[in-house]
Amino acid sequence: MEYRETAKIRFTLRDDNILQTECNPNTVMTLEDGMESTRISAEMVDYTPLPLLCDLTNVVKMTQECRRHFSGKEHAETFSKCALIVTNPVSKIIGNFFIGLNKPLKPTKLFTSKEEGLKWLKQV
Amino acid sequence: MDGQDNEQRLSDILDMIGSMASLDFSRVLKISDRNDMIDAIALGLNMLSEELNAQMVARDTLDELNDRLEQFAHTTAHDLKSPLNNQSGLLMLLELTLKPEKDSDVETCINKLKLMNEKMKSLVEGILAYSVVQAREITKERIDLNELLREVMELDDVVGRADVVVEGTLPNIFYNKTSSIQIIRNLLDNAIKYSDKARCKIRISSKDLGKYYQITFKDNGPGIESKYHDKIFELFNKIEPSYKAGSVGVGLATVKRIVEAGGGRIWVESEQGKGASFHFTLPKHGESVETAKAMDD
Repeated sequence: MEYRETAKIRFTLRDDNILQTECNPNTVMTLEDGMESTRISAEMVDYTPLPLLCDLTNVVKMTQECRRHFSGKEHAETFSKCALIVTNPVSKIIGNFFIGLNKPLKPTKLFTSKEEGLKWLKQV
Repeated sequence: MDGQDNEQRLSDILDMIGSMASLDFSRVLKISDRNDMIDAIALGLNMLSEELNAQMVARDTLDELNDRLEQFAHTTAHDLKSPLNNQSGLLMLLELTLKPEKDSDVETCINKLKLMNEKMKSLVEGILAYSVVQAREITKERIDLNELLREVMELDDVVGRADVVVEGTLPNIFYNKTSSIQIIRNLLDNAIKYSDKARCKIRISSKDLGKYYQITFKDNGPGIESKYHDKIFELFNKIEPSYKAGSVGVGLATVKRIVEAGGGRIWVESEQGKGASFHFTLPKHGESVETAKAMDD
C-alpha cells in the first residue's frame, strides 16, 4: 500500500491495485488541484492506467476548468475505469454533471457506496 | 427560521432561473454548508449557467468568424471580377491577333482558356450572389409570381431551352423582388443544367398551406439519390462534378439561404431516374416563421 496527500486530497494505492482518492471536508476543486491530482496519480500508478475509486463525498464545488481537465486526455492516462462515489446531493450533482456534460474519455460510473464501486472496478 | 431561510434560498433560485431565461449568466447562487437538496440544485444551476455562458461565448466567436469569412469571400470575389473580365478581353484580342486555324492546337488552347475563364467568372459571380443575401436590405413588395416567372424566362431565354408549364395560377407574394428572381432563376437553371433528356420539362405549381405558400418546381431530369438530398443545398457541393461543366455548386445554396432568410424552408423529393421536385415555402405575409407564430398565439 502506498499513501500520499496534498492539502485537499488523500491518495491511496491499495493492495488490490486500485487507486483510491478522497477529499478533505468542504473541498473546492480547482484546475490547479486537478492538475496536481493527475501528476500524483500518474506517479503512483507508475504511468500505467489502473482502476480509480474517487470519493466525491466531501467535494462542495468543482470548477468548470477542473471538470474539463478531469475529462481530458492527460488525466485519462492515469486510470482504466473510474467509480465516482457520491453519497450526498451536492456530490451527486457534481458527478452527474461530470459524466453528462464533460463526458470523460474512460468508463466512469456513479455509485452511492464504496462497496458497489469496488465491485464494479474489479469486474474484468 | 429554517423555513424562512429555505424560502429565501428557493426565491434566489427562482431569480437565477429568471436571469438565465433572459440569457444573463452573471448571477451565481450562494451555496450553504448544509449539503442538502437546495444546495445541490443551486450548485447545479451555477454549473449549468457557467456552461451555457461558455457555449454562448463560443457561438458568438464562431458567428464573428463566419461574418469575417463571408466578408473576405465577398471582397475576394469582388476583386477577382475585374481581372477576370480583363482576361476575357485579352483572350479575345489574342484570338483576333493570332487568327488560329480551325482545329489547330492554338485554337484548342484558346478555347480551353476561354472556357476556364467563363467557369471562374461563374464561380466568382456565384460567391458574390451567395454572400450578399444576408447583407441585402430586405425591402419587400407585392409580387405576382406568374408575371415574375414570365420576366425571368424571357430574360434568360428559358423557352429556347426548356418546356415550362405552370399548373393553375401562382400566388401573389409579399417578398423581396431580387430574392424572388434569384430563386426562380436558380431553380430553372438547375433543372436545365442537369437535364439528361432531349427536352427539359419543368412543371411549376403552388399550394396554399394556410400561413405559407408552397411552390414546387418539378423536372424530368435524372433525379437525385436520397443520400444527396441535403448535400445539394450546401455551398460548393455538386453531385458528380464531371456531369455538367457549367455547375459551380453555388445556386441551390443561394436559394436555400434566401428562402430561410425569408422564414421559409426548401427541400427536394426525388428518386434516381424519376426527376426531382424542389419544394419551398414562403410566409404569406412576408413575416418570419417566429413572427407569424407569435402573432397567431
